[in-house]
Amino acid sequence: MRYLVRTSTVLRYSAANAWADFRASYTWWSWTFGWLGRMLAQVTFFAFVGIMLGDQAQLRYLVVGNAVMTCVVETMSVVASSSSEGRIGTLPLLSAAPVRLAWVFLGRSVQWPVSGSLTALVSLLALAPAFGVHWSPTQVPALVLLVPLTALSTYAVGLFLSAFVLTASGARNLLSNSAYLVMMAICGVQVPVDFWPSWVRSIASTLPLTHGLAAIRSVGDRAPVADVLGQAGLALACGVGWLVMAVLAFSLLEQHSRRRDAFDFGG
Amino acid sequence: MRLFRDAFRFQAALTLRSPDTVHVLVTAPLYTVVFMAISRHAHRTDLAAYAVLAPVLMSLWSLALLTAGDLISRERSRGTLEAMVATPASFPVVVLARITAVTTISTVSFVESWLVAWWPFGVVVRVEHPLTLLWCLVLSALAMAGTASAMSALYVLLPTARTLQNSFTYPFYLLGGILVPVSYLPEWLRPLSRLVFLSWSSDLLRSALSPAPVVDELPRLAAIAVLGAAGCAVGGLMITRILRRVRSTGTLART
Amino acid sequence: MTDAVETRSLRRTFPARAGRGGGEIVALGGVDLSIPSGSVRGLLGPNGAGKTTLCKILSTVLLPSSGTASVLGHDVRHETLAVKRSIGVVFGGDRGLYGRLTPRQNLQLWGALYDLHGRALSRRVDELLERVGLSGRARDRVDGFSRGMKQRLHLARGLISDPRVLILDEPTSGMDPVAVRDFRGLIGELTAEGRTLLLTTHDMAEAEAVCDEVTLIDNGVLLATDTPARLAARLSTLERVEADGVADDVLAGLSALSGVSKAHRETGGRVVVHTTTPAATSEVLALLVSAGVTALRTVRPSLEEVYLHVIGDRGMLVSP
Repeated sequence: MRYLVRTSTVLRYSAANAWADFRASYTWWSWTFGWLGRMLAQVTFFAFVGIMLGDQAQLRYLVVGNAVMTCVVETMSVVASSSSEGRIGTLPLLSAAPVRLAWVFLGRSVQWPVSGSLTALVSLLALAPAFGVHWSPTQVPALVLLVPLTALSTYAVGLFLSAFVLTASGARNLLSNSAYLVMMAICGVQVPVDFWPSWVRSIASTLPLTHGLAAIRSVGDRAPVADVLGQAGLALACGVGWLVMAVLAFSLLEQHSRRRDAFDFGG
Repeated sequence: MRLFRDAFRFQAALTLRSPDTVHVLVTAPLYTVVFMAISRHAHRTDLAAYAVLAPVLMSLWSLALLTAGDLISRERSRGTLEAMVATPASFPVVVLARITAVTTISTVSFVESWLVAWWPFGVVVRVEHPLTLLWCLVLSALAMAGTASAMSALYVLLPTARTLQNSFTYPFYLLGGILVPVSYLPEWLRPLSRLVFLSWSSDLLRSALSPAPVVDELPRLAAIAVLGAAGCAVGGLMITRILRRVRSTGTLART
Repeated sequence: MTDAVETRSLRRTFPARAGRGGGEIVALGGVDLSIPSGSVRGLLGPNGAGKTTLCKILSTVLLPSSGTASVLGHDVRHETLAVKRSIGVVFGGDRGLYGRLTPRQNLQLWGALYDLHGRALSRRVDELLERVGLSGRARDRVDGFSRGMKQRLHLARGLISDPRVLILDEPTSGMDPVAVRDFRGLIGELTAEGRTLLLTTHDMAEAEAVCDEVTLIDNGVLLATDTPARLAARLSTLERVEADGVADDVLAGLSALSGVSKAHRETGGRVVVHTTTPAATSEVLALLVSAGVTALRTVRPSLEEVYLHVIGDRGMLVSP
């Protein structure tokens, strides 16, 4: 119980740090016209691929997949924002504090899945109808739950990856972008997961996006509630699995740094 | 010309070591995988050429913009911009040469993209009109450099534009018809897209990979050249204006 | 008096980087250090002497290669958590703070990391802001702070867990003189509260002003430990005579004396004579008095001179 109170306090103040960062990098104007605009253009880009293919089902598939994808793109920014701790010199101080690094970093970049969920919901609810993808009022609450679930469970994947570039910040953009492109390719965003050979399918099945997106598509297809819940449960389970991996990765990183002197002191 | 060559070499060495370049060379094949998967899944093997070309233009565009965004502002933050004004070298030429080095390097992604189509997708994309392809790639790289030099000047004159740097990608991929030809765009957008050199490049590159004879090759190449030169002229004018400001105020320290 | 910090044969090596012919670099070569509880110990040495490596090991950020180190009796290698709870780390410079947060938010976050929450946390944060004089700026972003203000926030951050032992790594680097004076005042208060401080610096005046004892370190080896005054006295054979109104021929005579290492005239006209034995000092004084010079005095070496004498006058060189 005491541990829970402690950890939630760490998460809360870390999240305040995340929010301050977000406020410093975006105004509402630059978020709307810079970030949101860019992401809507990306969804539109793939929607036009659907139009070129000349098939309504394909178009629908691409629009829904890429709209949800926007929350993944933004969530993977956790890799870059985590590595900023190295630049501002707080890593050795964090390492000297009696706390698990993973909890600090879990709160530290939570602005991305939150903003990403917002982007994805705008894409699904405001942009998708322009391409013939409509939602009934009864479907909307499900989307409002499933999109943040997808974003947060994917956040755990990003957190895991960020442990590896914490002290090698040169690779941060490369890692985050490659990771989201791989997810874009194999998680059922552009083509069904079945398209891929079995080994690729098994990788995809460990990624929360695969299941979160499947749940959202099920909502769109008016599939039975049990199907939706089943996929949502899988997304959640994958997210928890990745979170456990992330906690382990941060512990290993800390041990490695104590041996190798990877955290530089001030100056 | 010698100045251009030296600046080109300098930037080429810099770019080959930069993480941004590695970034583009790693992500281009991943984009090819995504686009190839879409066309294969839709049983549209005729779109394979599109899937190979789009990532090339995306690399060209994004790497040039990244470099342009960094180039002048980095010189400025290092304080070397003021020093450069003092040298007899023509600064616009230096900027242009350096961006050209970047765009030249990014055309390597064509090879990567082609290889990805071949393996794992088993599609051999034939270059039906190699000379057209070559000319088009060279002219596009130059046009890109011209456009990017205008951008780099814009970033200095209008620092807020840099925060929007990310947004200069997909809208232009769409307008430039890099994957979906401009003819699929709504009627009202088409004239606008014709002002983006990418739309001419992407169309002509697709023609170069298609067995049908290339029609109007020269006018289309000329369109790329003209739009590139226009960008270059605007960029040159803006850079000259910036330099004049440096000379009169002694500094650019304004954010 | 028990020791708050104790190291025995503490050694830390790093693999040499490529191009240096393999082997290893010895950052700390078997250091035995004892810091009594409640004292201020200065660790004085040039860049690359091993000061920061020692601080890192004591703050559990780095593991020793061999030997032991303990803080308040807790081993840094095995009782990491207990060590972390008993020390505070402060380093100088701009790094290590969240610039986009206010000082209050910074302290709240670090307090949460040190197991504080709820009312206890807000009380502690208020106290510290008051103490370092940042209450008035508690709602401003740290980005806009001066170096001195940032450093005071750093100190508050290091004190958030009310640690018995504080490690201060070059805390005043880059501060202006007024900020340095205020900072030293704060250090005095901390000692009065019975905390143990380890302060690394390469500023002799600072070590002399605030430390109970000073340890000289170079190339990973401790050279000497003593109070600043006794360290100087140890080298009392090194003395200096300063005199005004000395004629040139007298100066030449002084230079000729055995036991005089150096005699020269400063820009203001004052003559400075360095001697290496007490006997030589007497001879110098006798000669000056007989020449009718009355404005003269003998000067004990400053810690800086001791430092230069022991470590060598290497200027800004960083040892390999």
